[in-house]
Amino acid sequence: MTDRHPSIAPPLSNHRHVVATSVYVSLRRESEMPLIVKDHTWTQNQNTVYISVPLKGVKPASVHVICTDEYLKVSFPPFLFEVFLFGSINEERSEARIGNGVAVFTLQKRRDESWEQLFTNIDKDKQKQIREQAVLKVQQKEAEKSKAKAARIQQEKKYALETMMKLENKERDRIQKMKDEECARATAELDFWRETQRKTAEEKENQQKTRGTGPQDNQPVNQKTVTLMRNTGDTTSGQRSRKQTAKDLPAPRSAGCIQISFTPRVFPTALRESHVPEEEEWLKKQAEARRAVDTDLAELDDLREDERNPDWLKEKGDKLFMSGNYQAAVNAYNLAIKLNRKIPALFSNRAACHLKLRNLHKAIEDSSQALELLKPAVAANASARLKAHVRRGTAFCELELYVEGLQDYQAALEIDPHNAALRADSDKICEIIQGTT
Amino acid sequence: MSSALEKPQIIAHIQKSLNYTVFDSRWIPCSAKFVCMGNFARGSGVLQIYEIQHGELQLVREIEKAKPIKCGTFGATSLQQRHLATGDFDGSLNVWNLEVPESPVYSVKAHKEIINSIDGVGGLGIGDGAPEIVTGSRDGTVKVWDSRQKDTPVVNMEPMEGETKRDCWTVAFGHAFNEQDRCVCAGYDNGDIKLFDLRNMSLRWETNIKNGVCSVEFDRKDINMNKLVATSLEGKFHVFDMRTQHPTKGFASVSEKAHKSTIWQVRHLPQNRDIFMTAGGAGNLHLWKYEYPAQRTKKGADDVDMGVAGSVNLLQNVTLSTQPISSLDWSPDKQGLCVCSSFDQSVRVLIVTKLNTV
Repeated sequence: MTDRHPSIAPPLSNHRHVVATSVYVSLRRESEMPLIVKDHTWTQNQNTVYISVPLKGVKPASVHVICTDEYLKVSFPPFLFEVFLFGSINEERSEARIGNGVAVFTLQKRRDESWEQLFTNIDKDKQKQIREQAVLKVQQKEAEKSKAKAARIQQEKKYALETMMKLENKERDRIQKMKDEECARATAELDFWRETQRKTAEEKENQQKTRGTGPQDNQPVNQKTVTLMRNTGDTTSGQRSRKQTAKDLPAPRSAGCIQISFTPRVFPTALRESHVPEEEEWLKKQAEARRAVDTDLAELDDLREDERNPDWLKEKGDKLFMSGNYQAAVNAYNLAIKLNRKIPALFSNRAACHLKLRNLHKAIEDSSQALELLKPAVAANASARLKAHVRRGTAFCELELYVEGLQDYQAALEIDPHNAALRADSDKICEIIQGTT
Repeated sequence: MSSALEKPQIIAHIQKSLNYTVFDSRWIPCSAKFVCMGNFARGSGVLQIYEIQHGELQLVREIEKAKPIKCGTFGATSLQQRHLATGDFDGSLNVWNLEVPESPVYSVKAHKEIINSIDGVGGLGIGDGAPEIVTGSRDGTVKVWDSRQKDTPVVNMEPMEGETKRDCWTVAFGHAFNEQDRCVCAGYDNGDIKLFDLRNMSLRWETNIKNGVCSVEFDRKDINMNKLVATSLEGKFHVFDMRTQHPTKGFASVSEKAHKSTIWQVRHLPQNRDIFMTAGGAGNLHLWKYEYPAQRTKKGADDVDMGVAGSVNLLQNVTLSTQPISSLDWSPDKQGLCVCSSFDQSVRVLIVTKLNTV
């Protein structure tokens, strides 16, 4: 370590680093031979020395001061001012004011004496020693300060944390207390109510006992005061006692039986079981069928009003069928169907006519058509479907197509399982089939 | 003027998860205990008695029985004895002394199929007349029992010969205002509601509300019958004004659609007969108040008196669970305290506030 190079050996901490760099800077400057400031001024009184150093245009921020008890160095690159003080000063109580283009140092003397001069003349070695000491001291001071600061920050953080925790705990306790209060209140209420219930139950028991006829349960209760109060010859209480004993006595009711029937409905199923969508569809179809009248035929013009009505024609057809005039019935149905192709009954009845006329193929066709129109299969059109199946089955059997006929009879049986005639017929067909195979 | 703060609030006070399916829960009268009835997964029935202590439920007793228990009532027992009448899946009616539950006080094989619903009247110091129990079963019959008569019911309401049976889903007593009068109302799964008069041993009134009837209840059992609430599938309930019966039109009614699903149960507040709570299939509860009309009767076309139905207001509703709430019971001792059980195997104790200012 030479004169000009203050020590940079000590390990660098964060704070000392600052010192070290500025020292380093000044080091570089010093190796470039900083300009020594000589136009400083100084005054003194008994216990203070005032030194004023012009800053010569250098910014106050780049002024660096090292001051010990015997030595003062101000470096503001590229200038340098250092002085080995005549007497020792109290560095802690001294202050430096840097600004307005000048640095003013107020140094407190250790001993109240008047200095003859600012400088002392000391030799180079001593100077070097003093300089090194100064730097060391400053560094130490910085280190201490930074340590102290770190410690202080640590403490403050701890303190902050503690206060935070305390506050949160307080808050939590407050909430918990509120909750507990509510809980306690509710349970107190419940307990109180339970108590009152128990008391009223006991009172009722006592009431029972004083007038009842030999109670069975054995709860020991203090009855004396209660009985004294109750047995005051009150007529109402007398009545009540009679009623109490009479209470158990109304004889069991003489046995009775009430027969009930359940609500019939259009479709005898409850709403939740009903095949409502299919039923609606069937009803709609029927309604449509009534309305669909095919009026696009030329022959209609020479028909009477009656003869344009499919219902009238159907009735006519039925009557003709009854009277045995099957061909005429067929004609009536033909006309009706021409007018309205959607009424299944017409096809079904025409099938019956064809059956009588032994037009078996036509019968099959017509009953098939009727069955087509009788979809969807619901309870309402069951009888119509039954008839259609039977007619078709009969036709098949006449044609000796026994298997198809049996199918139709089976379908008919499904609709009406209780029909004995159907059963007999289908059994016969079974036999025939088995006989022929 | 009533803001949200003045409406009654339904507060779930305690909730307890159970390890069995619970079908019914009933308060033990004059106590802070209630009984839960149901069946274990292993197919046996269970009765559990809970007591409310310090804001929690303590299991006081657990009783296991051979057959699952569907429903129960304290309605036909005296306040000192507090026997529980239960109906089970086998069709047996048993009356238990909960202190000595090993064998029942009264037992009878009431029906051939599961007893869906049970009600009692004449007990608990309420009303006059003999204590009786009515049970409704899936075999389509409704029977009234008296614990002094063994093996045979006192009254039997059964379908006629050849009639197809419909399940009876609910029964309720009413009109028991003196020793002789009594009525039983039964609801069936095809929507039939039938009112039987036990004094005349006849069918007094019937109607059909199209959807299966899940629950019927009179607003009070021990008065001249005043109102009847019937709840059904598909979220509808009907309130009938029972004071005036028209010879052909029957009783006037107002109906309301709520819950968007089956309404499983209706229960009137014991302390105020115009307030009732309905429990729905979506796990929600609705609290209703009935307002009477200005005139309860009016002259009809043929100069015969007809009833006039009032209106129903929703006071509050709350959703407690995702599964249907199958049973609900108001405490007869503390206004606003009720217990409900639902099919998510849990039982809840609720407090409904501000009922005294409604």
